[in-house]
Amino acid sequence: MIYVDQLAKHYDDLKLGRVVAVAGVSFRASPGQVYGLLGPNGAGKTTTLRILSTLLKPTGGTATVNGYDVVDQAAEVRREIGFMSAGTAVYDRMTGWEMVEYFGRLHGIPHDELRDRMEALFTRLKMHDTRNVLGAKMSTGMKQRVSIARAIVHDPPVLIFDEATAGLDVLVARALLQTVAELRDHGKCILFSTHIMREAEKLCDRIAIVHRGHILAEGTLAELRDRYREHDLEELFFRLISEHNATHSPPAGTAASAA
Amino acid sequence: MTFERTRLVFAREVRDQLRDRRTLFMIFVVPLLLYPLLGVGFFQMAQFMREKPSRVLVVGVRELDRAPRLFDEDGFDAGLFVSEDGVNLLEVTFAPSSRRSGRPEPAESREAAWRAVESGSYDAALYFPPNFAQQLDAFRQVLRNRQSPDHRAGGVNAPDDASLEVNLAVPSPEIVHSTAVETSQIAYARLAAVLRRWTDQVGDDNLAVGGLPPSAARPFSLHSADVAYETPQRGAARWSKILPLMLVLWAMTGAFYPAVDLCAGEKERGTMETLLCSPALRSEIVMGKLLTIMLFSAATALLNVLSVGLTGAVVLSQIEGFGAPPLYAVFWLGAALLPVAALFSALCLALAAFARSTKEGQYYLMPLMFITMPLSVLPMAPGVELTLGNALIPVTGMVLLLRSVLEGHYWQAFQFAPPVIAVTFTCCLLAVRWAVEQFNSEGVLFGESERFDLAAWLKRLVRNRRPTPTAAAAVACGVLILLARFFLGTTLETPGAFPAFVRSVLITQVVIIAGPALLLCLLLTSSPRQTLLLRRPVTWWTVPAAGLLALLLHPTMNVLQRVVMHLYPVSENMREALVPVERMFAEAPFWPLVLVIALVPAVCEELAFRGFMLTGFLRPGGKWRAIAYTAVFFGLAHGVLQQSLIACLVGVVIGFIAIQSGSLVPAVVYHFLNNGLAVAGSRITPDTLDRFPALAAMLSGGPAQGYAFHGQIVTAGVFAACVLLVWFARLSSTRSFEMTFCGTVPRRLAEEG
Repeated sequence: MIYVDQLAKHYDDLKLGRVVAVAGVSFRASPGQVYGLLGPNGAGKTTTLRILSTLLKPTGGTATVNGYDVVDQAAEVRREIGFMSAGTAVYDRMTGWEMVEYFGRLHGIPHDELRDRMEALFTRLKMHDTRNVLGAKMSTGMKQRVSIARAIVHDPPVLIFDEATAGLDVLVARALLQTVAELRDHGKCILFSTHIMREAEKLCDRIAIVHRGHILAEGTLAELRDRYREHDLEELFFRLISEHNATHSPPAGTAASAA
Repeated sequence: MTFERTRLVFAREVRDQLRDRRTLFMIFVVPLLLYPLLGVGFFQMAQFMREKPSRVLVVGVRELDRAPRLFDEDGFDAGLFVSEDGVNLLEVTFAPSSRRSGRPEPAESREAAWRAVESGSYDAALYFPPNFAQQLDAFRQVLRNRQSPDHRAGGVNAPDDASLEVNLAVPSPEIVHSTAVETSQIAYARLAAVLRRWTDQVGDDNLAVGGLPPSAARPFSLHSADVAYETPQRGAARWSKILPLMLVLWAMTGAFYPAVDLCAGEKERGTMETLLCSPALRSEIVMGKLLTIMLFSAATALLNVLSVGLTGAVVLSQIEGFGAPPLYAVFWLGAALLPVAALFSALCLALAAFARSTKEGQYYLMPLMFITMPLSVLPMAPGVELTLGNALIPVTGMVLLLRSVLEGHYWQAFQFAPPVIAVTFTCCLLAVRWAVEQFNSEGVLFGESERFDLAAWLKRLVRNRRPTPTAAAAVACGVLILLARFFLGTTLETPGAFPAFVRSVLITQVVIIAGPALLLCLLLTSSPRQTLLLRRPVTWWTVPAAGLLALLLHPTMNVLQRVVMHLYPVSENMREALVPVERMFAEAPFWPLVLVIALVPAVCEELAFRGFMLTGFLRPGGKWRAIAYTAVFFGLAHGVLQQSLIACLVGVVIGFIAIQSGSLVPAVVYHFLNNGLAVAGSRITPDTLDRFPALAAMLSGGPAQGYAFHGQIVTAGVFAACVLLVWFARLSSTRSFEMTFCGTVPRRLAEEG
């Protein structure tokens, strides 16, 4: 489970001065749930996810992942999560098998157990074709499957997907969303950031609409529709953002450029 | 940190690099092919490399047919050349009027020679002044006459000494050449050699005319005896200059490309983020990558050295006095390989981690090269030997140590190996620490590769002023001071008298040092008082304590100064230049001198360094880092190496006092007393010691060699100073945000609070 309370992050930018990337966001994601962070580019999604993955340190608030504090117990948090960043980050000069094995061994999985687990994983994700192919020669779909396998090889209770479908073609994106849904069904707590409405609608159990480091609205899709009397998520999204922009003039240095 | 995860990272990186064709090319293919190809090329080129003849114009020569002959029909007389080939290397053209005897030389013939060389028509010209041949004949005639029986009998026609002097004045021929043209310089050297031989022969003939043997002018000749006459020894001496340099340069090159790929490349591919999310600690990742880079750095250096050695054994061993590299060189180079590879690997790793892309990483090779090259080449300069001072210079010490070993000076190498290893090890540790810091820096790992816009940066600094400066502003201040000191300082004349000295110090301190700091303070900060630490100290006891500390550390500083002067002695030129300054100091009135040398710098330098810069460096956190950076700038601002080293150490102590007391006042007091005591020390004379017996009991030495404190005094001073420093360390200043920031309070809580 992920618990985020008044999480904030600001940093100094050469031109903009002090940039507030995350301005005190709070939310809670539970096991067996896909929690969606829906927001435009620069909303602060990536910064939030990087803080939860212990890559960045917050400048305010607290966050725990499966009971571990992201600042004080960073090593424990890293054992509990599987992180998949935007883009298919794979090593060019490693085969699919070597890559997944490498991360499995970094997580300290015993050799025999790792081999069994990988065989099962490769079968489940239908990625035997990537087994002996170097990353540089993989197709985008192959890379994506290897990235997922790398993120879940240690069977983490929490999974963080940062714009995982960005740049993927429709087929690969659909397969990825299916995998995410399956992982949810296996009881994983999944944090899923996206700026694509349909993905959020289709996949996420709870959605937080994020803009300029703030959560503008949060709840299940049904709750959001009821609360704002707006059936279409896209319309709701634009309405909330317009209202926010109208009430909060965008002073220099408040846009979250890191996201 | 676990060994297993480090091993995993290491194994992955090695495998990754071994699959990279560029790395394999650089490490294996280049050394294995480059030097043998160069060797073959050298032989091939040698076939075509024929010495080109020099074109020489001879102007103004009259008949010089008397023995010894200078010219024959075509050019210079063959007897004037050491080898037969030499004759063909000078293509002589006689100027039209040169051989026409009985007619006066044209007045413009020297200009003609000048123009011929200047226009490039000839490589050099040999100009004989008018009447050269007649004067030379006349000279010989005088000598003959002196030998005549009439002259010996003191007859009427015997020339007196005055007329002999006149007749002896033979005008000098002139070789016209151009130092700007290489072929002209070669022609000059060839011509000069031929004319020297001819002049010697003329001299010998004249001696014969005078009835003296040739040995009258040269009763003996100098022979040289080379104790390293055996080729292996001479070869070893020559290889000892080449191989260490190659080892260092290839260790750096071999480290850099893998480092860029492993850090900047990994960031670029996006895999760094996933690796950092894994349970591997940053230190484990850094160590795994460092070991990989070390492996490739060592392999590159070793293969290059072996390849050049083998090629040299085949090619260069055929050159006289340049034998094959000795086999034991491989052993010693192998022993040095590990620390050298470790040093460059750590440096490259830190630099590459700092880079945000492969392209950016490659740019960083240049500064590293600029720093490493002079340090590596310095040992090749004449007179640079393995001394303690040189052993303490990173890279230079290692190259000198290797040279010493390869030349067979084992005892010397054994003596200086500990400092060289200690310096290299310290540099390695610092570089590794820097690399780990880079891997912990969010700005470095995830910062956008933004274009630096100076105008935007300055605008933001001025608009969004904060109470204290940023670290970047502190660096800018330091650079500004160093630049001003360099450019304005050189325009200041060396003061010859005390009033001029006072003027010079005031300009340096007020305009060059305090000026930039105060200007930036007003422009970039909203609270000059807080920035310059112009506050009450945490306790007023820190003021006398700082003074006492300066007093207690004075004997130690005195010793350190002597050590530094021993390690890096002042050059003879500098010593001569300092003589008038020292004389002026000795003659200047004491208290005004203290005012100028102690009080003015204490105020101005403290405002700049412990005021503006220290506060700026404290902003990102890290008390010791801020003290170290400030001390380095403080040292650099002193200009002279010997002074800079001591100033750096003093800067550390003053920085610590300033931070612990939270005020500039104790720092100024320490600085004032430190300088004041140095002035007082320079004024000690035997009379002073007579007047102050207690001082005499503490000092040894005399006016000639200088006074020094007894060892017991130094030890006691250090011990008491340590006690005082512990007292300072226990003070906790909570007066500024930065002080809290860099102290024990976690960053997050500090900001929330």
